[in-house]
Amino acid sequence: MLSLRIATRFLRTGRGQSLLIIAGIAVGIAVQIFVGTLIMSLQATLLETTIGNASHVTLQNVDEKKPIRYSPALQRGLASDRRVRLIVPDRVLSVIFSKGTDSAPISVVGALPRDINAIYKMEKHLVAGRMVSDPQDVILGKSFATKYRLSVGDPVLVVLPGGSQQKLKLVGLFDVGTSAVNDRIGFTTPVFPRQALGLGPDEYTDIQTQLTDPFASTRVIADWATLEAFSGVKYKDWQVESSQLLVGLQGQSSSSYMIQVFVLVAVALGIASTLAISAVQKTRQIGILKAMGMTDATAGAVFLWEAGILGVFGTGLGFVFGLGLLRLFALGPITFTIVLDPAFVGGSCAIGIVVSLLSAIIPSRQTSRIDPIEVIQGG
Amino acid sequence: MADDLLVAEGLSKVYFDVIPTPALTDVSFSLASGEFASVIGRSGSGKSTLLNLVGLLDTPTSGSLHLNGRDTAGLDRVARARMRNTFVGFVFQFHHLLPEFSVIENVCMPALIRGEAWNAELRQRARVTLDMLDLGEVAEKNANETSGGQRQRVAIARALMNRPQLVLADEPTGNLDTENSALVYELFRKVNLEWGTAFLIVTHDPTIAQQADRILEISDGRLQRDVAVPGVSAAADEQARS
Ligand SMILES: Nc1ncnc2c1ncn2[C@@H]1O[C@H](COP(=O)(O)OP(=O)(O)OP(=O)(O)O)[C@@H](O)[C@H]1O
Ligand SMILES: [Mg+2]
Repeated sequence: MLSLRIATRFLRTGRGQSLLIIAGIAVGIAVQIFVGTLIMSLQATLLETTIGNASHVTLQNVDEKKPIRYSPALQRGLASDRRVRLIVPDRVLSVIFSKGTDSAPISVVGALPRDINAIYKMEKHLVAGRMVSDPQDVILGKSFATKYRLSVGDPVLVVLPGGSQQKLKLVGLFDVGTSAVNDRIGFTTPVFPRQALGLGPDEYTDIQTQLTDPFASTRVIADWATLEAFSGVKYKDWQVESSQLLVGLQGQSSSSYMIQVFVLVAVALGIASTLAISAVQKTRQIGILKAMGMTDATAGAVFLWEAGILGVFGTGLGFVFGLGLLRLFALGPITFTIVLDPAFVGGSCAIGIVVSLLSAIIPSRQTSRIDPIEVIQGG
Repeated sequence: MADDLLVAEGLSKVYFDVIPTPALTDVSFSLASGEFASVIGRSGSGKSTLLNLVGLLDTPTSGSLHLNGRDTAGLDRVARARMRNTFVGFVFQFHHLLPEFSVIENVCMPALIRGEAWNAELRQRARVTLDMLDLGEVAEKNANETSGGQRQRVAIARALMNRPQLVLADEPTGNLDTENSALVYELFRKVNLEWGTAFLIVTHDPTIAQQADRILEISDGRLQRDVAVPGVSAAADEQARS
């Protein structure tokens, strides 16, 4: 491949220039990988804290005062939808916690221990004691317990909506990371709230579900609304509840794309102008080669090769820089985990090489148009 | 006529700059295989123009040119490039070596352009040509680390690399001293006799012009004189043998 041979020689003899372009591409690709990954990781963490431990689609009775019936038809309807990852029927009861002169409103969520574990990852977040198993068992947030000087084994007195009192037993403390849960929610088995609310065995206050793809929630709800088994059901869509957050994430993504596009444009302009200068500098050589019979296509290919080589080396170096930057950044005090998306990193590298090749189009055309006679006559 | 290497008929070239400049007017001649001809004429008379037309670097305004029996008017850019590569060898007035490459790489360039691989066999062939031109010890040097005389000889080696049937040389000795000029002439003669290569040499040097088999004189763009020089070939033959 003569054009490749000539390209590498031109690059090697103009070493300073070549290294400069490589550095330019590397910085561009590094910024692209760094900024893109950072924003994506930040968003993933935000999303995870928002909906990781929460219901994506919550089913309730259309009549808010009535419980929802978890009928066999509804059970089948939910279980047969493969987009659903988790189904947690629960009973939520608002009570007033009371100890001496202190009191605080809390929600008691009653569900099967297995389900509580699945949605709130309680096994991981339990910091003392054990999970609920008996009807009187309750677990509370560690911060709540500290505030009211409660420890595992203590009795927990709660006042029910009707005014009657109930004594529960604190068997464990958790810390799920969000104060909305830690300070305001207690978990029990489904038995106690069922008795307190006077519900039937298949009646719940709501049915929480998690989906494999949280962003499919709206679509899933639309599908369910058409089914007989789901009649009389009202839905709460996390995307609607968290629309503020989603708008924020959208804005973040757009500005991240803007930065990435501008960086790539800057890289492309840099390569294009340097290659164009280099093409002018090599006019004499290309003219001589053409006088000796090199075709226009081969001459044009010289600069495509140059761009390709610069693109590959620059992108490779940029990849290393980018990962290095991310690693350095991860050493600092950050509140989210950096997750590399191989598709994004691979895509960024591919874009780097493609942009390099595209920016060679003009110099390459310039080169293929050189007429040998002008060079030969020019002396 | 049939086995003529080159047949030019009514070849004319007008440059359209600010005003039309006729550089070559109605030149007709033919060159047989193995012929050794020189082209003379005053500066600006059109010698380089003629050579560039014959070497397919430039296109005539009118007239026809047949190379190796083929009408060059019908050739596209790629075919012209191939013809420049394999049929003719060009020695330019300015050596025009590629400064990024070594001497041997420069010499191999026409073969690489033809599509040959950069291998030992090719380098060996280049070495033979370089040795013949007494350039053996500068083969691996960079092209611009050699002397003016050496560069001109490298350019000659390069022109001969694809064993062309026709060598076009535009003042190949223009920048050389008498000794080097004589050397270049001897080389051309040697190649002419050993390989049967035809030569068309533009020169200002009367000694070289006189040593050709035939002299073409251009004046104001016209072919003024086309004469055979008797007996030179035989003398050169003897010289080569001794
Ligand atoms: N590209 C061009 N544009 C306009 N005129 C040109 C061009 N090239 C050559 N000429 C003119 O054509 C004429 C012939 O030029 P050419 O280079 O063939 O002369 P030459 O015989 O080779 O001269 P020299 O011995 O000085 O090299 C000159 O008058 C020159 O000015
Ligand atoms: Mg000239």
